Amino acid sequence: MSDAEQAGLEVIAVSPDSNVQSQKLADGLRVGYRFVADRDLAVTRSWGLVHPHGGPDGRDVPRPATIVLDREGVVRWFSITRNYQVRPDPADVLRAVRALRTSAALGAAR
Amino acid sequence: MTSARLSALAVLIALGAVAAYALLLRVPLVRNHPEAYVVAFAVATGLAAIAVARARGRRWPAWLALGVCGLLLIGGAWFDFVVARVPVTSSVLRVGERPPDFQLLDASGRPVTLSEYRGRKPVVLVFYRGYW
Repeated sequence: MSDAEQAGLEVIAVSPDSNVQSQKLADGLRVGYRFVADRDLAVTRSWGLVHPHGGPDGRDVPRPATIVLDREGVVRWFSITRNYQVRPDPADVLRAVRALRTSAALGAAR
Repeated sequence: MTSARLSALAVLIALGAVAAYALLLRVPLVRNHPEAYVVAFAVATGLAAIAVARARGRRWPAWLALGVCGLLLIGGAWFDFVVARVPVTSSVLRVGERPPDFQLLDASGRPVTLSEYRGRKPVVLVFYRGYW
């Protein structure tokens, strides 16, 4: 993704980690990510994205999921993995993000 | 093909699949088709079984190849089809609907809400397992 595309987009990464290390890594790489911590999985659970007993020692962990929200906070595309080795293809996420831009441009032109 | 060569080929395919998957994990096509390594292990196990059937005299190399490939097949299939499966639960996500807002803290302790982006920017939200 180009810098220009990233400028108009926020990537928020949610995990039960404390994220201090993750944010250092992202800042070091100059990636526009905001890492937020859902320590007790309260938000993840309320969104129905918990994999029960999926972690070490039978702990609950998030189901890996990627969600594209438009400017109004409406879900336009999402993917929830059914096999934790598998993640959405970045090209698919990018296509969903570009589709937002196209529909926004059409909306403005109307 | 002789039994010894078949045995070597079987082990090469099985270990090659392990190496290819590990080295190419960042390539979406490879990462998103973990069943490919199970197929490679199955092919290797089949070849090793043929090698055992063809073995004359020294049989242990073929049996060793069959053991290695067979264990990888069982382990790989168990991991891919059992361990890595994530049970399907009902999520709140619906295309065309607005999911509930949240407030969580970022690494510097600042609160982040979804609603702060409303009317400003699209958001790509990634839930990930973390590294514990």
